Amino acid sequence: MERAGGGGASYQRFPRVRIRELRDDFAKFELRDTDASMANALRRVMIAEVPTVAIDLVEIEVNSSVLNDEFIAHRLGLIPLTSAAAMSMRFSRDCDACDGDGSCEYCSVEFHLAARATDSDQTLEVTSNDLRSTDPKVCPVDQARAYQHALGGSEPFDTAAAADQRQLPFLTFPFPFHEGILIVKLRRGQELRLRAIARKGIGKDHAKWSPAATVTFMYEPEIRINEELMETLTLDEKRNLVESSPTKVFNIDPNTQQVVVEDAEAYTYDDEVIKKADAMGKPGLIEINAKEDSFIFTVETTGAITAYELIMNAITVFRQKLDAVRLQDDDGDLGELGAHLVGG
Amino acid sequence: MNAPDRYERFVVPEGTKKVSYERDTKIVNAGSFTIEREDHTIGNILRMQLHRDPNVLFAGYKLPHPLQYKIIVRVHTANQSTPTQAYTQAINDLDKELENLKQAFEDEKTRYDERPKQGY
Repeated sequence: MERAGGGGASYQRFPRVRIRELRDDFAKFELRDTDASMANALRRVMIAEVPTVAIDLVEIEVNSSVLNDEFIAHRLGLIPLTSAAAMSMRFSRDCDACDGDGSCEYCSVEFHLAARATDSDQTLEVTSNDLRSTDPKVCPVDQARAYQHALGGSEPFDTAAAADQRQLPFLTFPFPFHEGILIVKLRRGQELRLRAIARKGIGKDHAKWSPAATVTFMYEPEIRINEELMETLTLDEKRNLVESSPTKVFNIDPNTQQVVVEDAEAYTYDDEVIKKADAMGKPGLIEINAKEDSFIFTVETTGAITAYELIMNAITVFRQKLDAVRLQDDDGDLGELGAHLVGG
Repeated sequence: MNAPDRYERFVVPEGTKKVSYERDTKIVNAGSFTIEREDHTIGNILRMQLHRDPNVLFAGYKLPHPLQYKIIVRVHTANQSTPTQAYTQAINDLDKELENLKQAFEDEKTRYDERPKQGY
Protein backbone atom coordinates (compact mmCIF):
# COMPACT_ATOMS: atom_id res chain seq x y z
CA MET A 1 0.00 0.00 0.00
CA GLU A 2 1.25 3.36 -0.94
CA ARG A 3 1.80 5.86 1.83
CA ALA A 4 -0.98 8.38 2.05
CA GLY A 5 -0.21 11.55 0.18
CA GLY A 6 2.95 10.16 -1.34
CA GLY A 7 3.15 10.31 -5.10
CA GLY A 8 -0.44 11.46 -5.60
CA ALA A 9 -1.10 13.98 -8.33
CA SER A 10 -1.29 17.57 -7.19
CA TYR A 11 -4.40 19.67 -7.67
CA GLN A 12 -2.82 22.82 -6.35
CA ARG A 13 -3.79 26.29 -7.52
CA PHE A 14 -1.59 29.31 -7.97
CA PRO A 15 -3.52 32.38 -6.86
CA ARG A 16 -2.53 35.83 -8.07
CA VAL A 17 -2.72 39.03 -6.05
CA ARG A 18 -2.84 42.69 -6.98
CA ILE A 19 -2.80 45.36 -4.30
CA ARG A 20 -4.86 48.40 -5.20
CA GLU A 21 -4.41 50.37 -2.05
CA LEU A 22 -2.41 49.76 1.08
CA ARG A 23 -2.28 52.00 4.10
CA ASP A 24 -1.54 51.28 7.74
CA ASP A 25 -5.05 50.29 8.65
CA PHE A 26 -6.62 49.76 5.25
CA ALA A 27 -6.05 47.48 2.30
CA LYS A 28 -7.87 46.81 -0.93
CA PHE A 29 -6.66 44.01 -3.15
CA GLU A 30 -7.70 41.61 -5.88
CA LEU A 31 -7.37 37.89 -5.42
CA ARG A 32 -7.59 35.77 -8.56
CA ASP A 33 -7.33 32.16 -9.71
CA THR A 34 -8.76 30.60 -6.59
CA ASP A 35 -12.27 29.87 -5.36
CA ALA A 36 -14.73 31.24 -2.85
CA SER A 37 -13.79 28.70 -0.21
CA MET A 38 -10.26 30.12 -0.09
CA ALA A 39 -11.49 33.72 -0.07
CA ASN A 40 -13.98 32.98 2.68
CA ALA A 41 -11.51 31.00 4.77
CA LEU A 42 -9.08 33.92 4.61
CA ARG A 43 -11.82 36.33 5.60
CA ARG A 44 -12.89 34.17 8.51
CA VAL A 45 -9.34 33.70 9.76
CA MET A 46 -8.64 37.44 9.56
CA ILE A 47 -11.72 38.23 11.64
CA ALA A 48 -11.65 35.48 14.22
CA GLU A 49 -8.27 33.80 14.45
CA VAL A 50 -5.44 36.28 14.05
CA PRO A 51 -4.15 36.97 17.57
CA THR A 52 -3.82 40.38 19.21
CA VAL A 53 -3.31 41.62 22.74
CA ALA A 54 -6.17 43.08 24.78
CA ILE A 55 -6.86 43.79 28.43
CA ASP A 56 -8.38 40.68 29.98
CA LEU A 57 -7.94 40.89 33.76
CA VAL A 58 -8.66 44.02 35.75
CA GLU A 59 -8.00 44.50 39.43
CA ILE A 60 -9.78 47.60 40.66
CA GLU A 61 -8.20 49.30 43.66
CA VAL A 62 -10.41 52.35 43.88
CA ASN A 63 -13.45 53.13 41.80
CA SER A 64 -15.70 55.94 42.89
CA SER A 65 -16.76 56.84 39.37
CA VAL A 66 -20.34 56.53 38.15
CA LEU A 67 -19.57 53.38 36.16
CA ASN A 68 -19.41 50.07 37.96
CA ASP A 69 -16.26 47.93 38.02
CA GLU A 70 -17.26 45.42 35.35
CA PHE A 71 -18.45 48.19 33.05
CA ILE A 72 -14.99 49.77 33.24
CA ALA A 73 -13.27 46.40 32.82
CA HIS A 74 -15.29 45.82 29.68
CA ARG A 75 -14.42 49.24 28.27
CA LEU A 76 -10.74 48.65 28.98
CA GLY A 77 -10.89 45.36 27.13
CA LEU A 78 -12.19 47.03 23.98
CA ILE A 79 -9.26 49.46 23.68
CA PRO A 80 -7.07 48.30 20.79
CA LEU A 81 -3.46 47.71 21.86
CA THR A 82 -0.44 47.58 19.54
CA SER A 83 -0.07 43.89 18.85
CA ALA A 84 2.83 43.48 16.45
CA ALA A 85 4.39 41.16 19.04
CA ALA A 86 1.27 39.03 19.49
CA MET A 87 2.24 36.37 16.95
CA SER A 88 5.36 35.50 18.97
CA MET A 89 3.69 35.72 22.37
CA ARG A 90 2.22 32.74 24.22
CA PHE A 91 -1.40 32.17 25.11
CA SER A 92 -1.46 32.34 28.88
CA ARG A 93 -3.38 29.06 29.07
CA ASP A 94 -0.37 27.23 27.64
CA CYS A 95 2.36 29.34 29.18
CA ASP A 96 4.75 27.26 31.30
CA ALA A 97 6.42 30.19 32.97
CA CYS A 98 3.47 31.44 34.97
CA ASP A 99 0.78 28.71 35.14
CA GLY A 100 -1.47 30.97 33.13
CA ASP A 101 -2.14 33.49 35.87
CA GLY A 102 -0.96 36.26 33.59
CA SER A 103 2.11 37.43 35.40
CA CYS A 104 5.00 36.75 33.09
CA GLU A 105 6.56 38.55 30.16
CA TYR A 106 5.87 35.73 27.66
CA CYS A 107 2.12 35.88 27.84
CA SER A 108 1.01 39.12 29.44
CA VAL A 109 1.58 42.84 29.80
CA GLU A 110 0.64 44.80 32.90
CA PHE A 111 -1.04 48.21 32.81
CA HIS A 112 -1.64 50.72 35.55
CA LEU A 113 -4.13 53.51 35.67
CA ALA A 114 -4.52 56.13 38.35
CA ALA A 115 -6.72 59.17 37.92
CA ARG A 116 -8.37 61.49 40.40
CA ALA A 117 -10.44 64.55 39.70
CA THR A 118 -9.10 67.35 41.81
CA ASP A 119 -11.22 69.97 43.40
CA SER A 120 -11.62 72.08 40.32
CA ASP A 121 -15.06 72.18 38.76
CA GLN A 122 -13.80 70.63 35.54
CA THR A 123 -14.90 67.12 34.67
CA LEU A 124 -11.88 64.89 34.27
CA GLU A 125 -11.90 62.64 31.25
CA VAL A 126 -10.03 59.39 31.82
CA THR A 127 -8.84 58.11 28.47
CA SER A 128 -6.60 55.41 27.04
CA ASN A 129 -3.78 57.95 27.35
CA ASP A 130 -3.88 57.49 31.14
CA LEU A 131 -3.00 53.81 30.81
CA ARG A 132 0.63 53.18 31.72
CA SER A 133 2.12 50.11 30.10
CA THR A 134 5.01 48.12 31.57
CA ASP A 135 6.08 47.03 28.08
CA PRO A 136 6.78 49.72 25.48
CA LYS A 137 5.88 47.31 22.67
CA VAL A 138 2.29 47.06 23.88
CA CYS A 139 0.28 50.21 24.46
CA PRO A 140 -3.01 51.74 23.28
CA VAL A 141 -2.82 52.36 19.54
CA ASP A 142 -3.49 56.08 19.75
CA GLN A 143 -0.70 56.48 22.30
CA ALA A 144 1.66 54.78 19.86
CA ARG A 145 0.56 57.17 17.12
CA ALA A 146 0.97 60.22 19.28
CA TYR A 147 4.41 59.01 20.29
CA GLN A 148 5.48 58.54 16.69
CA HIS A 149 4.06 61.92 15.87
CA ALA A 150 6.02 63.54 18.71
CA LEU A 151 9.20 61.91 17.47
CA GLY A 152 8.70 63.89 14.29
CA GLY A 153 8.62 60.73 12.29
CA SER A 154 6.32 60.41 9.38
CA GLU A 155 2.80 60.15 10.59
CA PRO A 156 1.79 56.53 10.25
CA PHE A 157 -1.77 57.36 9.40
CA ASP A 158 -2.98 60.77 8.42
CA THR A 159 -6.74 60.73 8.82
CA ALA A 160 -7.33 63.93 6.91
CA ALA A 161 -5.31 62.83 3.90
CA ALA A 162 -6.88 59.41 3.99
CA ALA A 163 -10.34 60.85 4.14
CA ASP A 164 -9.48 63.08 1.23
CA GLN A 165 -8.24 60.11 -0.78
CA ARG A 166 -11.32 58.06 -0.10
CA GLN A 167 -13.59 61.07 -0.27
CA LEU A 168 -15.24 60.23 2.98
CA PRO A 169 -15.98 63.50 4.72
CA PHE A 170 -16.95 61.81 8.00
CA LEU A 171 -13.37 60.70 8.49
CA THR A 172 -12.11 64.23 8.94
CA PHE A 173 -12.27 64.25 12.70
CA PRO A 174 -12.66 67.67 14.22
CA PHE A 175 -10.23 66.67 16.98
CA PRO A 176 -6.63 65.50 16.83
CA PHE A 177 -6.24 61.73 16.80
CA HIS A 178 -4.05 61.63 19.92
CA GLU A 179 -6.75 62.62 22.33
CA GLY A 180 -7.28 59.06 23.40
CA ILE A 181 -10.25 56.79 23.81
CA LEU A 182 -12.62 57.84 26.56
CA ILE A 183 -12.96 55.33 29.40
CA VAL A 184 -14.93 57.24 32.03
CA LYS A 185 -15.57 60.82 33.16
CA LEU A 186 -14.82 61.78 36.77
CA ARG A 187 -16.53 64.44 38.78
CA ARG A 188 -14.83 66.46 41.49
CA GLY A 189 -13.41 64.14 44.14
CA GLN A 190 -14.01 60.89 42.21
CA GLU A 191 -11.13 58.53 41.69
CA LEU A 192 -10.20 55.54 39.58
CA ARG A 193 -7.18 53.37 40.31
CA LEU A 194 -6.60 49.95 38.85
CA ARG A 195 -4.17 47.33 37.60
CA ALA A 196 -4.93 45.58 34.33
CA ILE A 197 -3.37 42.60 32.61
CA ALA A 198 -3.44 42.35 28.85
CA ARG A 199 -3.18 38.93 27.25
CA LYS A 200 -2.94 37.40 23.86
CA GLY A 201 -6.19 36.08 22.45
CA ILE A 202 -8.24 35.56 19.29
CA GLY A 203 -11.52 37.00 18.07
CA LYS A 204 -13.23 33.61 18.34
CA ASP A 205 -12.80 33.88 22.11
CA HIS A 206 -14.02 37.47 22.41
CA ALA A 207 -14.44 40.16 19.77
CA LYS A 208 -12.10 42.49 21.67
CA TRP A 209 -9.22 40.39 20.34
CA SER A 210 -10.27 40.74 16.72
CA PRO A 211 -7.78 42.87 14.78
CA ALA A 212 -10.30 43.35 11.99
CA ALA A 213 -12.73 46.23 11.82
CA THR A 214 -14.03 45.12 8.43
CA VAL A 215 -13.05 42.30 6.13
CA THR A 216 -15.22 41.83 3.09
CA PHE A 217 -14.86 40.38 -0.35
CA MET A 218 -17.01 40.59 -3.46
CA TYR A 219 -17.02 38.68 -6.70
CA GLU A 220 -15.70 40.73 -9.55
CA PRO A 221 -18.63 41.46 -11.88
CA GLU A 222 -18.33 40.97 -15.61
CA ILE A 223 -20.73 43.23 -17.48
CA ARG A 224 -21.52 42.68 -21.14
CA ILE A 225 -23.65 45.09 -23.14
CA ASN A 226 -25.29 43.84 -26.32
CA GLU A 227 -24.29 46.83 -28.46
CA GLU A 228 -26.41 45.76 -31.40
CA LEU A 229 -29.56 45.66 -29.28
CA MET A 230 -28.52 48.83 -27.47
CA GLU A 231 -28.48 50.74 -30.77
CA THR A 232 -32.22 50.11 -31.09
CA LEU A 233 -32.83 52.25 -28.00
CA THR A 234 -33.60 55.94 -28.10
CA LEU A 235 -31.51 58.31 -26.01
CA ASP A 236 -34.36 58.64 -23.51
CA GLU A 237 -34.62 54.89 -23.16
CA LYS A 238 -30.88 54.72 -22.59
CA ARG A 239 -31.14 57.36 -19.88
CA ASN A 240 -33.93 55.39 -18.21
CA LEU A 241 -31.85 52.26 -18.32
CA VAL A 242 -28.78 53.96 -16.86
CA GLU A 243 -30.88 55.48 -14.10
CA SER A 244 -32.59 52.21 -13.20
CA SER A 245 -29.45 51.03 -11.45
CA PRO A 246 -29.47 52.17 -7.80
CA THR A 247 -25.69 52.56 -7.89
CA LYS A 248 -23.79 54.41 -10.60
CA VAL A 249 -22.70 51.46 -12.71
CA PHE A 250 -23.49 52.81 -16.17
CA ASN A 251 -23.24 56.15 -17.89
CA ILE A 252 -23.87 57.66 -21.28
CA ASP A 253 -20.89 58.77 -23.26
CA PRO A 254 -21.59 62.46 -24.02
CA ASN A 255 -19.94 62.23 -27.44
CA THR A 256 -21.14 58.96 -28.88
CA GLN A 257 -24.33 58.72 -26.78
CA GLN A 258 -23.50 55.09 -26.11
CA VAL A 259 -24.19 53.35 -22.83
CA VAL A 260 -20.85 52.59 -21.21
CA VAL A 261 -19.86 50.80 -18.00
CA GLU A 262 -18.60 53.50 -15.68
CA ASP A 263 -17.86 51.49 -12.55
CA ALA A 264 -18.49 47.76 -12.73
CA GLU A 265 -17.63 47.29 -9.05
CA ALA A 266 -20.38 49.65 -7.94
CA TYR A 267 -22.81 46.92 -9.00
CA THR A 268 -24.46 45.31 -5.98
CA TYR A 269 -25.93 42.30 -7.82
CA ASP A 270 -29.37 43.85 -7.46
CA ASP A 271 -30.55 42.80 -10.98
CA GLU A 272 -32.35 46.14 -11.40
CA VAL A 273 -30.93 46.98 -14.85
CA ILE A 274 -31.65 43.46 -16.07
CA LYS A 275 -35.26 43.73 -14.91
CA LYS A 276 -35.45 47.14 -16.57
CA ALA A 277 -34.16 45.74 -19.86
CA ASP A 278 -36.73 42.93 -19.67
CA ALA A 279 -39.48 45.46 -18.93
CA MET A 280 -38.41 47.47 -21.97
CA GLY A 281 -38.89 44.35 -24.06
CA LYS A 282 -35.17 43.94 -24.66
CA PRO A 283 -34.12 40.81 -22.77
CA GLY A 284 -30.40 40.09 -23.09
CA LEU A 285 -29.55 43.76 -23.48
CA ILE A 286 -27.23 43.59 -20.51
CA GLU A 287 -25.67 40.48 -19.07
CA ILE A 288 -23.91 40.49 -15.73
CA ASN A 289 -21.95 37.57 -14.37
CA ALA A 290 -19.99 37.18 -11.17
CA LYS A 291 -16.52 35.83 -11.95
CA GLU A 292 -16.28 32.74 -9.79
CA ASP A 293 -12.53 32.90 -9.36
CA SER A 294 -11.90 36.60 -8.88
CA PHE A 295 -12.42 38.53 -5.66
CA ILE A 296 -12.02 42.07 -4.46
CA PHE A 297 -11.11 42.29 -0.79
CA THR A 298 -11.49 45.24 1.52
CA VAL A 299 -9.63 45.01 4.83
CA GLU A 300 -9.74 47.52 7.65
CA THR A 301 -8.01 46.95 10.97
CA THR A 302 -8.57 48.39 14.42
CA GLY A 303 -4.98 49.63 14.42
CA ALA A 304 -3.73 46.78 16.61
CA ILE A 305 -1.73 45.53 13.65
CA THR A 306 -1.33 46.93 10.16
CA ALA A 307 -3.53 45.70 7.33
CA TYR A 308 -0.54 44.04 5.68
CA GLU A 309 0.38 42.29 8.94
CA LEU A 310 -3.21 41.14 9.26
CA ILE A 311 -3.17 39.52 5.84
CA MET A 312 0.23 37.89 6.33
CA ASN A 313 -0.60 36.68 9.84
CA ALA A 314 -3.89 35.27 8.55
CA ILE A 315 -2.00 33.17 6.01
CA THR A 316 0.43 31.99 8.71
CA VAL A 317 -2.37 31.13 11.14
CA PHE A 318 -4.28 29.35 8.41
CA ARG A 319 -1.27 27.20 7.54
CA GLN A 320 -0.87 26.31 11.21
CA LYS A 321 -4.51 25.28 11.31
CA LEU A 322 -4.07 23.08 8.25
CA ASP A 323 -0.99 21.54 9.78
CA ALA A 324 -2.96 20.71 12.92
CA VAL A 325 -5.60 18.78 10.99
CA ARG A 326 -3.12 16.49 9.26
CA LEU A 327 -3.56 12.81 9.96
CA GLN A 328 -1.09 11.53 12.50
CA ASP A 329 0.87 8.44 11.52
CA ASP A 330 -0.77 6.31 14.15
CA ASP A 331 -4.36 6.85 13.09
CA GLY A 332 -5.54 7.03 9.49
CA ASP A 333 -2.83 5.25 7.58
CA LEU A 334 -2.04 2.38 9.91
CA GLY A 335 -5.67 2.10 10.95
CA GLU A 336 -6.58 1.43 7.35
CA LEU A 337 -3.73 -1.03 6.93
CA GLY A 338 -4.67 -2.75 10.18
CA ALA A 339 -8.26 -3.03 9.08
CA HIS A 340 -7.17 -4.57 5.79
CA LEU A 341 -5.10 -7.14 7.64
CA VAL A 342 -7.92 -8.03 9.99
CA GLY A 343 -10.48 -8.09 7.22
CA GLY A 344 -8.25 -10.45 5.24
CA MET B 1 -22.12 30.23 36.65
CA ASN B 2 -22.18 26.91 34.89
CA ALA B 3 -21.11 28.45 31.61
CA PRO B 4 -18.44 26.40 29.86
CA ASP B 5 -15.02 28.03 29.53
CA ARG B 6 -14.73 30.15 26.43
CA TYR B 7 -11.57 28.40 25.30
CA GLU B 8 -13.49 25.13 24.98
CA ARG B 9 -14.37 26.34 21.50
CA PHE B 10 -10.84 26.00 20.22
CA VAL B 11 -8.72 23.99 22.64
CA VAL B 12 -8.79 20.24 22.06
CA PRO B 13 -9.55 18.56 25.41
CA GLU B 14 -6.80 16.35 26.81
CA GLY B 15 -7.04 12.74 25.77
CA THR B 16 -8.98 13.59 22.60
CA LYS B 17 -7.49 13.28 19.16
CA LYS B 18 -7.63 16.30 16.86
CA VAL B 19 -8.43 14.13 13.85
CA SER B 20 -9.84 10.62 13.84
CA TYR B 21 -10.79 8.49 10.88
CA GLU B 22 -13.56 5.96 10.77
CA ARG B 23 -14.09 3.68 7.79
CA ASP B 24 -17.52 3.14 6.40
CA THR B 25 -18.83 -0.28 7.32
CA LYS B 26 -20.59 -0.92 4.03
CA ILE B 27 -18.73 0.89 1.27
CA VAL B 28 -15.09 0.35 0.40
CA ASN B 29 -12.91 3.43 0.07
CA ALA B 30 -15.32 5.54 2.08
CA GLY B 31 -15.15 6.93 5.56
CA SER B 32 -15.40 10.03 7.67
CA PHE B 33 -12.87 12.18 9.43
CA THR B 34 -13.93 13.76 12.69
CA ILE B 35 -11.98 16.96 13.28
CA GLU B 36 -12.20 18.36 16.79
CA ARG B 37 -12.43 22.11 17.43
CA GLU B 38 -12.71 23.18 13.81
CA ASP B 39 -15.54 24.83 11.89
CA HIS B 40 -16.58 26.00 8.43
CA THR B 41 -13.20 27.66 7.86
CA ILE B 42 -11.47 24.29 7.56
CA GLY B 43 -14.51 22.20 6.63
CA ASN B 44 -15.54 24.10 3.53
CA ILE B 45 -12.07 24.61 2.11
CA LEU B 46 -11.19 20.93 2.62
CA ARG B 47 -14.37 19.86 0.90
CA MET B 48 -13.75 22.14 -2.09
CA GLN B 49 -10.15 20.99 -2.39
CA LEU B 50 -11.26 17.33 -2.26
CA HIS B 51 -13.67 18.07 -5.11
CA ARG B 52 -10.71 19.00 -7.29
CA ASP B 53 -9.39 15.45 -7.00
CA PRO B 54 -10.94 13.31 -9.77
CA ASN B 55 -10.49 10.18 -7.62
CA VAL B 56 -12.86 11.62 -5.04
CA LEU B 57 -16.39 10.45 -5.78
CA PHE B 58 -17.92 12.23 -2.83
CA ALA B 59 -16.71 14.80 -0.33
CA GLY B 60 -18.87 16.69 2.11
CA TYR B 61 -18.66 18.14 5.58
CA LYS B 62 -21.08 18.95 8.34
CA LEU B 63 -21.06 20.82 11.60
CA PRO B 64 -23.37 18.48 13.53
CA HIS B 65 -24.35 20.98 16.22
CA PRO B 66 -23.30 24.58 16.90
CA LEU B 67 -22.39 23.72 20.49
CA GLN B 68 -20.37 20.62 19.60
CA TYR B 69 -17.14 22.12 18.39
CA LYS B 70 -16.29 19.56 15.74
CA ILE B 71 -16.83 18.88 12.08
CA ILE B 72 -17.24 15.64 10.18
CA VAL B 73 -15.72 15.35 6.70
CA ARG B 74 -16.99 12.41 4.70
CA VAL B 75 -14.99 11.17 1.74
CA HIS B 76 -15.62 8.44 -0.81
CA THR B 77 -12.95 7.71 -3.40
CA ALA B 78 -12.47 5.57 -6.46
CA ASN B 79 -10.40 2.38 -6.25
CA GLN B 80 -7.16 4.08 -7.26
CA SER B 81 -7.16 6.10 -4.06
CA THR B 82 -8.24 5.96 -0.43
CA PRO B 83 -9.97 8.59 1.70
CA THR B 84 -6.84 9.05 3.81
CA GLN B 85 -4.73 9.54 0.70
CA ALA B 86 -7.14 12.07 -0.77
CA TYR B 87 -7.40 13.87 2.57
CA THR B 88 -3.65 14.17 3.00
CA GLN B 89 -3.25 15.26 -0.61
CA ALA B 90 -5.90 17.96 -0.17
CA ILE B 91 -4.12 19.37 2.88
CA ASN B 92 -0.75 19.29 1.12
CA ASP B 93 -2.18 21.11 -1.88
CA LEU B 94 -3.86 23.75 0.26
CA ASP B 95 -0.67 24.28 2.22
CA LYS B 96 1.29 24.76 -0.98
CA GLU B 97 -1.34 27.12 -2.31
CA LEU B 98 -1.07 29.24 0.83
CA GLU B 99 2.72 29.20 0.71
CA ASN B 100 2.36 30.45 -2.82
CA LEU B 101 -0.15 33.09 -1.82
CA LYS B 102 2.16 34.37 0.89
CA GLN B 103 4.99 34.73 -1.62
CA ALA B 104 2.62 36.42 -4.06
CA PHE B 105 1.64 38.94 -1.39
CA GLU B 106 5.23 39.71 -0.49
CA ASP B 107 6.16 40.22 -4.14
CA GLU B 108 3.10 42.36 -4.72
CA LYS B 109 3.90 44.51 -1.69
CA THR B 110 7.40 45.15 -3.02
CA ARG B 111 5.94 46.09 -6.38
CA TYR B 112 3.32 48.29 -4.73
CA ASP B 113 5.88 50.11 -2.56
CA GLU B 114 8.12 50.80 -5.52
CA ARG B 115 5.41 52.01 -7.86
CA PRO B 116 5.77 55.55 -9.21
CA LYS B 117 4.25 57.77 -6.57
CA GLN B 118 2.95 60.51 -8.83
CA GLY B 119 -0.52 60.50 -10.26
CA TYR B 120 -1.89 58.07 -7.74
